[in-house]
Amino acid sequence: MSVLDEVFILCALGALVLFVFHRIRGIEKLAVVFYAALLYLLIKMSGLGYGGEVIYSSFSLNILGETLQWRFDAVSWFFAIITVASGLFSAVFMSGKWGESYREKTSNAAYGTLQIALLLNVNSMLILLASGDLLSLFIGWELVSWASFMMMALNPDKQARQAAIKYIVYAMAGAMAFLAAMAYVYGITGSLQYAELAQASAALSNGQIILLSLLFFTGFAIKMGLIPFHLWQAVAYAETPAPGAVFLGAISARMGLYAIIVVLIQLIGLGHLQQIHIPFTFWNLQTVLAWVGALTTIIPTYIALKQNDARHLLAWHGVGQGGYMLLGLMTLNSLGSAGGLLHVFNYATYQAALFMTIGAVIYRTGTANFDKLGGLVTQMPLTFMVMVFSIIGLAGLPPMNGFVSKWMVYRSLLLDGEPLLFVAAVIGTLGTILSVYKLVHNTFLGQLRVEHQNVREAPLSLLIPMLVLAAIMFVTGMMPGLVLDWVASAQLAMGLVPVTYNLGGIVLASGGLDMIWITLILFYGLGVGAIIFYLLGGRAKRVHQYDNYAGGHFLTSRVRYHYSHNFYAGLMHLIGGWYRGSFKKLEQAIVSLVSLLSQLSENMYRSAQPAMMVIIVVVLSLWSISGGIN
Amino acid sequence: MASFNSISELLAQLLFMPMLAFLLGLVMVLMYRKIAARLQRRIGPPFFQPVYDIVKLYSKDTQISHGLIHDIGIVVAVGGYVAAVILLPVPGMDGIADKGGIITLSYFLMIPSLGMALGVGQCANPNGSIGISRALTAMLAYDIPFIIVVFGVALHYQSTSLVGMIDYQQAHQWGIFEMPLLAAAGLFALQGMMGKHPFEIYVAPAEIATGPMVEMSGKFMGGLFVMQSFQFYVASVLYTSLFLGGGANWFEFLLKIFFVVEIPMSISFLFPRYRTEDMVRIMWKWPVMLALIGIAFVI
Repeated sequence: MSVLDEVFILCALGALVLFVFHRIRGIEKLAVVFYAALLYLLIKMSGLGYGGEVIYSSFSLNILGETLQWRFDAVSWFFAIITVASGLFSAVFMSGKWGESYREKTSNAAYGTLQIALLLNVNSMLILLASGDLLSLFIGWELVSWASFMMMALNPDKQARQAAIKYIVYAMAGAMAFLAAMAYVYGITGSLQYAELAQASAALSNGQIILLSLLFFTGFAIKMGLIPFHLWQAVAYAETPAPGAVFLGAISARMGLYAIIVVLIQLIGLGHLQQIHIPFTFWNLQTVLAWVGALTTIIPTYIALKQNDARHLLAWHGVGQGGYMLLGLMTLNSLGSAGGLLHVFNYATYQAALFMTIGAVIYRTGTANFDKLGGLVTQMPLTFMVMVFSIIGLAGLPPMNGFVSKWMVYRSLLLDGEPLLFVAAVIGTLGTILSVYKLVHNTFLGQLRVEHQNVREAPLSLLIPMLVLAAIMFVTGMMPGLVLDWVASAQLAMGLVPVTYNLGGIVLASGGLDMIWITLILFYGLGVGAIIFYLLGGRAKRVHQYDNYAGGHFLTSRVRYHYSHNFYAGLMHLIGGWYRGSFKKLEQAIVSLVSLLSQLSENMYRSAQPAMMVIIVVVLSLWSISGGIN
Repeated sequence: MASFNSISELLAQLLFMPMLAFLLGLVMVLMYRKIAARLQRRIGPPFFQPVYDIVKLYSKDTQISHGLIHDIGIVVAVGGYVAAVILLPVPGMDGIADKGGIITLSYFLMIPSLGMALGVGQCANPNGSIGISRALTAMLAYDIPFIIVVFGVALHYQSTSLVGMIDYQQAHQWGIFEMPLLAAAGLFALQGMMGKHPFEIYVAPAEIATGPMVEMSGKFMGGLFVMQSFQFYVASVLYTSLFLGGGANWFEFLLKIFFVVEIPMSISFLFPRYRTEDMVRIMWKWPVMLALIGIAFVI
């Protein structure tokens, strides 16, 4: 029995136990133990992250002559460890005070259902990541879709329900595209095995490859929320209960990236992506996909800038950050693809932490609306600190880990000489900086509201996972080599040249990156800054927030003296007109078209028009008698 | 390209590079005021005026702090620049410039702004917050052309290492002759980056109660003054390293950086102030266009 078998047995056992006992208090502690055990089993497989052999499950199925099998390679393991760790952090987050308050607001059963939803999400993702052929990939894909739907549907709020329904419609559309691609593959090769497809793809014509890639990519892009399928994700993730948002936000959408890696890079092949030109353009498939990534970094990021709810803002950034991963991956060189993969890990750490900080703010204040928050830094300093660490990561500034992966993507675009993609990536980053400042300013800075003057720091059970994540962000930012080991193994498994790295960063003859030095220099600088500030000059006096310049007026608690609404008014004056909601209109148009068609067919089916029916039947039968198609 | 031979040399560089940057920055601040004065037919301040100002600000009686983040904001604003100048090579002192390179430096330079933004945020004064929203918008405006220029230059030299770029220019030809369009666009972006006229709406005294500085008193203001002198220094040295071949010796280096910083200083008083959105518009139009054409030539 391999370790992978043990993982599956543990998953099944966990699901069973949780399902039976989910109403019982104390189940949350058991759930934490379960994720920890799962993480332990994955660590037992950690050989995969350092160039180990593929691990097969001894379990397989035979259906209609197709063998379904499951295995873990370095790519699966890399994604799996992020998945399980995210699950563990979410479980810890909801195991203490947060869980109690959720129980009080809803019921024991509802809390248990949330736990089940999280567990099913983790399990189904592991099944997806372990898939060893197209059919098992599809099964895993559907499991993940429905598990996410279950999580999203837990919030009884109308907006959340609508978002969940919208998600499942999108997911089904994606699954149909995936299914069509599978049918196409089956028609060509007569098999759904990875090896057969990889072999057959070498002999396919360009048109066939383009069609196949388009179908597969549509399916996967919907999961990842890439342009033009970005509309469903943000609201659906943001409106889930906080631990669900932490988990879904951190990793769920990255399953799309995993599938892109498996199918487009490993099976259809690098060569095809680079060589096949799209008819009537100068572009090849690789460029098209890279541009999808680049646009995904820009558009959702600037939508995030307009949000007025912290959760929505973060979730939109989650969509945007997916663009960096695809963009990095689609450079297809060793540095860029490593950057894209590393970004999956880095992004998971800070996105989880950010959703946790917002979860903590909601736990204490009951809202994530920017118009109702402000000044919480004095009340929740540790939560603020975690948020600052995470937004530095999200914005991609040194010394946090987000900088390293983004640097790698930029550097590889530079090496490739891709100015426009580079500029697109930078526009995305700058938008992120603006947006995260708005996030931190409108929640934690500015004037504290009267009703929040008794708010206390988040409870320990919420703080611990946040602080641990912040520590991970910092350590892997200073020593990216720790994670680059895993990334390099994954690259080898993908058939790419692994990146050259050391503990501190990237080794390149023409200008590398050494984060250990960078971090030390930064702290040296801050130390000097602190000496200049604290040792020189007079002593500063702390004043109350109402002791403030107000143009001669006296401030009292009755005067709201805070700037948060329409935060970037000057910028919006210029770019505000560019938000035309074109994608929304497109979506609505498609919805209208589908409902029109369904009404037409319904009318055809239901209406009693015997004469019409007789004519149709007669015409069809005459046509088939006279020879039909042939 | 061994950037340092021994620990003692490294320590000396860690100490001297920021100090030198600070002193040169102070001279640049003086120069800026002198130019302004001469253009307005005044005599201008005496040589040690910037020093007097800093001493005055640090020794003020009234020093208002709005909380820990307000303090830390100033620490980061100054400390971020102290760290950044160590990554900027000057004659005879490469520091550890090789560990980062131009992309790292570009992002490093955002840390002080972010620190200041956080500090201003805690002041709980909407004038300050509006100022920061304008300042960040300005950053979005000038950083896009700047980053395109950086891309073009790095592509041209096939390197992101500043030391490598300087070596190349000293062996061949200055960047400004090989990439005139990029150099022009870079100068335009530099004007915005320095946060002086005509792109200084976010700190202009006549606008929204001086914006970010509204709650800054005493050494808080002094910290921002120090930051400003670093800002001049970094902008000029960066431009010199990218386009003017750095400095083979100190004389040449000083000549170049003061020449570079003198151009935007002289231009700054010739135009009226731009509104935020007008600044974004002009920055996204002319320098971006110039830089993209410049890149087309490089490729």
